[in-house]
Amino acid sequence: MTTTAQPQRRRRRTGSRAERRFALLFLLPAVALVLTFRIVPLLWGFGLSLTDATGLQQGQFIGLGNYAEMAGDPNFRAAMRNTVILLLTLPVWVLLPMILASLIHLGVPGGRLYRSVYFFPAVLSSVIVGSIFNVVLRYDGALNALLGFAGLPAIDWLGSGSTALLSLLTVQLWATFGMSLLIFLAGLSTLSSEMIEAARLDGARLWQVWGYVILPAMRPIIEFVAVVTTIGVLTNMFGLIYVLTAGGPGTATTLPEFLIWLEQGQMGRPGYAAALSMVLFALMAGIAWIQIRIMSRNAGL
Amino acid sequence: MANPRGRERRILRLLSVPMALLALSCVYPVYFAVNNALKTNRNYIMDRFGLVTDLTFDNFVQAWTRSNLDTYFVNSVLVTGGAVLLLLLVSSLAGFALALLRFPARRLVFVVILASLMIPVQVVLVPFYQTIIGLGLLNTRIGLILSYTAFFLPFSVYLMTAFYAGLPRELMEAARIDGARLLQVWWFVMLPMGRPALITLGILNTLYCWNDVLISLLVLQDKRTMMVGIAALRGEYTTNVPLLAAGIVLAAAPIVVLYLVFQRQIVAGIATGAVKG
Repeated sequence: MTTTAQPQRRRRRTGSRAERRFALLFLLPAVALVLTFRIVPLLWGFGLSLTDATGLQQGQFIGLGNYAEMAGDPNFRAAMRNTVILLLTLPVWVLLPMILASLIHLGVPGGRLYRSVYFFPAVLSSVIVGSIFNVVLRYDGALNALLGFAGLPAIDWLGSGSTALLSLLTVQLWATFGMSLLIFLAGLSTLSSEMIEAARLDGARLWQVWGYVILPAMRPIIEFVAVVTTIGVLTNMFGLIYVLTAGGPGTATTLPEFLIWLEQGQMGRPGYAAALSMVLFALMAGIAWIQIRIMSRNAGL
Repeated sequence: MANPRGRERRILRLLSVPMALLALSCVYPVYFAVNNALKTNRNYIMDRFGLVTDLTFDNFVQAWTRSNLDTYFVNSVLVTGGAVLLLLLVSSLAGFALALLRFPARRLVFVVILASLMIPVQVVLVPFYQTIIGLGLLNTRIGLILSYTAFFLPFSVYLMTAFYAGLPRELMEAARIDGARLLQVWWFVMLPMGRPALITLGILNTLYCWNDVLISLLVLQDKRTMMVGIAALRGEYTTNVPLLAAGIVLAAAPIVVLYLVFQRQIVAGIATGAVKG
């Protein structure tokens, strides 16, 4: 028995020759696509970021020149400032769907209906959401007409520097909170209902159950939603910016991803755009690092 | 769930009011688009909020033919269909290999594919664009299909691997004893067995591909997909809202149908991605 078990176990780990060959063949399309369009371009992009390439010209090696230029570039500064402002509102992006999910979980009347309706804007393209809100929020748009009926003064929601970013943020929040809500509900559904019932039998009020039983158990999901929202703010707002504000007025709603697109296309400066991309990648890598730490800590608990 | 009692139930009922208002705001786009698309421009200017009084289908005709949405729609259907099909085949093959076959560097390949999640298109915008040009794929539908597959692939591979890992390995060994080759095992056993996961991925990837605008702007510049077409329509006809609304209805219709028919699968797909991811 022991003599025959030995080679068998080894085969399980590395597989037969046919198995190894087929495995590589099966993985070839996936690996080739990811390498061609993502990983090799990442390395190439780093090389490009060290040149002064313009248009489709190769450009000269200028070391860290592009990165030095960023420090004094008002557009880059504006994009970073806008990113920081958006990230400062992170608690709202997490709390709103969390509270709504909790209420649905606690049995608010109509909860099932709300769950599916709240999710609807999240399946619409940002182009569609942006087009609709562009009509609603423009100076002669529906919202100002409503304010007019109420006797309030009109506000240039998209055209004034003080409200444009707020408008962008609100529309994005409205369009994506349903997604976070689903994540919270999925997490809530894994909570043991026995614990909740036991607390209820002990005479705990609904709000106490929420504060002492549900909220602590939700911590990993809160962290997850925070990470997903941050990634979304960094890489998922291009479509909305493109149709809602085009980054303006001025640079009021320009985010890094939109600036990269402008520098690559409109400005024809791929070298500088590639350097901006590297900064965005560094931010993404930082978030991924935080995510991995959170996940390994949760797994280690 | 927690059986609210007396006063608690009243408070929940009270909280249901703002929640209902929020729900109304979420279906407002449907009212906005459909109602305005059926108005004449004059009807819209006279009464923006009210129900249509001057019913017309001209906006749809004009958007479809004169604003070229017909060709954009065909482009979107071809590209989305091609990319989703390719995504399902490629991720099922990869998931099968990663979950059930034994070979060296298995974990490394899995990690590399997943790590590419950290490289969204914005991070490689310039070199990606130049790769597309270099491969002669600019302004080709196949170029956009390959791009979508590359950028939406990691989650699909992850989900297929997780799904196949839950299947007993004996299943595959039983199939092989029958003398089937691995390619046949994949085609005749793994694809049918993977149906629940493939359906979820098919729906989610259809959403992602149909709704995309950035990759499409880069790769399919002169042909345009539906979303790029709508963005252009928004820019060209700022004063003709009914025409824009008609375009929005046409662009969103396939997604709304998908949402209505497959809501459960979409919710389940996003939930698995979240809880496991």
